[in-house]
Amino acid sequence: MTMAPEETETEVPEGHVKLIVDGEEVIAPKGELLIRTAERLGTVIPRFCDHPLLDPAGACRQCLVEVEMGGRPMPKPQASCTMTVADGMVVKTQRTSPVADKAQQGVMELLLINHPLDCPVCDKGGECPLQNQAMAHGRASSRFVDTKRTFPKPLPISSQVLLDRERCVLCQRCTRFSAQIAGDPFIELLERGVHQQVGTAETAAVFSGTPAPEPSDMASKTSSGAPFQSYFSGNTIQICPVGALTSAAYRFRSRPFDLVSSPSVCEHCSSGCAERTDFRRGKVMRRLAGDDPDVNEEWICDKGRFAFRYAAASDRIRKPLVRDAKTGELVETSWTEALRVAADALSKARDARGAAVLTGGRLTVEDAYAYSKFARIALRTNDIDFRARAHSAEELDFLAGVVGTTPDHVSFAAIERAPTVLCVAIEPEDEAPIVFLRLRKAALKHSTKVVHVGQWTTSSVRKTNGELLACEPGGEAAALDGIAQHAKDLDAGLAEAGAVILLGERAAEVVGLFSAVQRLAERTGAKVAWIPRRAGERGALEAGAAPTLLPGGAAVSDADARAALESAWRLDAGVLPSSPGRDTTGILWAAATGDLDALVVGGIDPDDLPDPALARKALAAAGFVLSMEMRPSAVTEHADVVLPIATVDEKSGRFLNWEGRPRPFTVTLEGTNALPDCRVLDTLAVEMDADLFTQTPQASFADFERAVSAGRSVVRETNGSGTAEHSRPHAGESNGNGKLKLATWRQLIDEGSLQAGEPHLAGTARTAVVRLSAATARDHGIEPGEHATVSTERGELTLPAEIADLPDGVVWVPARSPVSIRTALGVGHGGAVSLSGGTA
Amino acid sequence: MTEVQDSVFDADIHAKAKEIISRYPQSRSALLPMLHLVQSVQGHVSQEGIAFCGKHLDLTDAEVSAVATFYTMYKRKPCGEHLLSVCTNTLCAAMGGDAIYRKLQEHLGAEGKPLGHEATAGTPGEPGSITLEHAECLAACDLAPVLQVNYEFYDNQTEQSAVELVDALQRGEKPAPTRGAPLTDLKSAELQLAGFFPEDAERFAADVDGPSAATETLRGAALAQERGWVAPPMREENA
Ligand code: SF4
Ligand code: SF4
Ligand code: FES
Ligand code: FES
Repeated sequence: MTMAPEETETEVPEGHVKLIVDGEEVIAPKGELLIRTAERLGTVIPRFCDHPLLDPAGACRQCLVEVEMGGRPMPKPQASCTMTVADGMVVKTQRTSPVADKAQQGVMELLLINHPLDCPVCDKGGECPLQNQAMAHGRASSRFVDTKRTFPKPLPISSQVLLDRERCVLCQRCTRFSAQIAGDPFIELLERGVHQQVGTAETAAVFSGTPAPEPSDMASKTSSGAPFQSYFSGNTIQICPVGALTSAAYRFRSRPFDLVSSPSVCEHCSSGCAERTDFRRGKVMRRLAGDDPDVNEEWICDKGRFAFRYAAASDRIRKPLVRDAKTGELVETSWTEALRVAADALSKARDARGAAVLTGGRLTVEDAYAYSKFARIALRTNDIDFRARAHSAEELDFLAGVVGTTPDHVSFAAIERAPTVLCVAIEPEDEAPIVFLRLRKAALKHSTKVVHVGQWTTSSVRKTNGELLACEPGGEAAALDGIAQHAKDLDAGLAEAGAVILLGERAAEVVGLFSAVQRLAERTGAKVAWIPRRAGERGALEAGAAPTLLPGGAAVSDADARAALESAWRLDAGVLPSSPGRDTTGILWAAATGDLDALVVGGIDPDDLPDPALARKALAAAGFVLSMEMRPSAVTEHADVVLPIATVDEKSGRFLNWEGRPRPFTVTLEGTNALPDCRVLDTLAVEMDADLFTQTPQASFADFERAVSAGRSVVRETNGSGTAEHSRPHAGESNGNGKLKLATWRQLIDEGSLQAGEPHLAGTARTAVVRLSAATARDHGIEPGEHATVSTERGELTLPAEIADLPDGVVWVPARSPVSIRTALGVGHGGAVSLSGGTA
Repeated sequence: MTEVQDSVFDADIHAKAKEIISRYPQSRSALLPMLHLVQSVQGHVSQEGIAFCGKHLDLTDAEVSAVATFYTMYKRKPCGEHLLSVCTNTLCAAMGGDAIYRKLQEHLGAEGKPLGHEATAGTPGEPGSITLEHAECLAACDLAPVLQVNYEFYDNQTEQSAVELVDALQRGEKPAPTRGAPLTDLKSAELQLAGFFPEDAERFAADVDGPSAATETLRGAALAQERGWVAPPMREENA
């Protein structure tokens, strides 16, 4: 028995206790787990099931320590990952207790009894907690002489996760992650006793000796019979402490000790997750979640984890291409030649009817800034827009107020602490998966009330224990205006300190929604956060890649702001264009009708645009098209010059996530010779006698900061005072002539171009269906499970029908799975469509 | 909720499922009787059965499987008309349960191979087919060795009586259990386990009631009374 030293004078602060760990006195906050207290003292107790972000389970028993309470030793060693500190406790870890050490060795020996010890062919070998801890805390050899339990392996429990039950130590990290964090219990603990194993309903039927069924049969099923897919399943691969869950994309590709790891930032959505990119010999092998408690904690979504192969696609454009006047074909040329051709054509266009810039939403701040400055000083225009999606003038006005906001306004942490969160025109799980995980955590851990303004009870609604405030697509603004009267609780909730309203990209498709949100926010005091879907949008906004806003957010019509920028940019006074530019649709319309001579196009897929037909027409009609791309796209066929640019792995830079938090990253793959957009634009501008000072991302960022602080030095007039030109009709934005309303948004995993080349990820996309209410289905003679056809005068789309709680007269289809509904139907969210029973 | 339709489970079973669910404040609590319900249809819990429960209770298949694979009373492979459980836990084993089990394995085996645990003699589902299993203590040690057919008791068995019982079952007879309800078949027993009993009150009483104490059960108590034995008083915990 150990006596607690009697006269220690250490003050124990409120809410803390004093205990002794390995003979050392420690003060620990009440509720702290012993395993963490020991960690703080620098003692790592071996563990498998313990994970700081999962609720304690005590499943593996690897973390045993000796504990004494009130002078009485507890009869058996205790699991330090489930026991919390107490006053006067005396704890002895393996460092000072032979009993704890022997207990740990015993558990390890038991865990290894059925373990195949196939480390030489295991993906985890070299970075395996089991391997490492067996070396540190296990016996040198096993006393087990009998036959090990074997299983058929590996079983694909989805197209991207493979299960090897022999290696599993039954720690339940995977099952706890999927149930608790993701809310997708796709893997479970099955059987009992010596037969205990993890798996799905399907793997449960694969006993030793039975031949493995078809891989496609192995995934768990949802209540509609479709394979149960989780957007977060890749995390289970990363947190599995052994090689029991491996990645189909990475399996047998490399060993951890051959990889070079580089911290990176995800380029997909505006969450801005910290990642780790592992590469070998110039090739990215995998991506893992980075640890950033302020942003993604230790999780990422499967898109961020697996969608990186596009960068290594065999069709990457590596050399500049120029269209040969005679053959009409694109031919490889030198940079000098291509830049000269582009500069000549753009200068000519600028001096004639003008040239405009469409940047796309995937740029770093540095690159977006280069486009922004290029438009203003090389092309002398404000015709630039980063919004390669449905957009509106109202949105621009609203965004003027978003510029410059930081995580002090609304952050991930603020979402977690909020008493009430209202999600408007956003489907968090599809559009910003990490925002979704925070919402779920808030709901589960802090009882945050989450209300979704939308059309049906989606998985985001269910898994955030949310409430649906149902409205017709397009009726969101009216729904918000009705809150004061019809949803008094919600109204009161939004008036509480810390309440938050989240607004998604779909808001731009609903007339009057931005002002309705602002009215609601002003009345209740709730803070509004804009959460765009793409990683580069917030940065592009800040960089002024918008027709009415300068870098830093001042209005282009603001003479003082222009003057300040002119001096920061060392330009002659008055040279910056003062009239607001055209927005994306305006630019395309002008190009299609001959009002613009040239287009500079960043990473844009015409099928993402509000009117793909107009976009194609504009690209075909424009006298000159410069495409800055990584891979051939629909723009390439119309391009006169194609300049290759670097992927995120090949350059440095920063994204601004939706919070306004800078997410800087460095070059992962050195020496590829691929050039970032900012560098290419800098050289091109020089050819046009304009100096951008954006030769490198560093230079570009420094120049951006100068421009922003120049803008700050002047008092801003009114935000967004200049509104883009709207005189032209929105071709093809006819709202359709059907009787039903269309609700639509993009699913996380779809036909997006950055997901190319990754079949394992694509295999976990949600099935594309038409969703409609039972009454709507009945009225149109559609049986659930059969096909339904949604149509407009533009075209039609046939998908399996699924009944959901939509308002009658509303149908939902995913926006880009499998095709762009903009292309197929010519309408977007809120459009009018017709419906009929259809054949597949 | 979405209307669930499929071929294996007819409208009546869907209605029964809803009735079971209505018994509980939380729908997922209905899973155990629901699994018996699907067994009453198919004689085992199939993947369709798992999906059926998942759909009605809004659980994933993996969650349903976790439960279905945990309990021995849920069978993963098609069973015979009758389920024969031989107790081989300590007391029964010592009193002859092990020998009975071995005997039945041989008797029901084919081609010189003894029938395995949870294996079926005959074609599953056909009349006279029997699934054999060894069971843990059936809580009738006083009447050891015991066996059960479709969870009805046959007490004080011998190798010979067990073989006779099996032969009768294979001939299509339904020998009366030592106590409790008359013998039916596994699927009917499963329906009762799901909580559906005959409407007629007398049958109901006959099915569920049974003598709770046999002579053997009370033999020790009687002996003690006769001889004036009492349990020693509880020792005071020395403080
Ligand atoms: S598969 Fe991995 S994470 Fe899941 S229980 Fe087994 S060892 Fe743990
Ligand atoms: S949540 Fe967004 S930023 Fe994070 S990994 Fe997924 S796509 Fe990337
Ligand atoms: S780490 Fe403590 S029981 Fe697993
Ligand atoms: S040991 Fe057989 S009934 Fe208890």
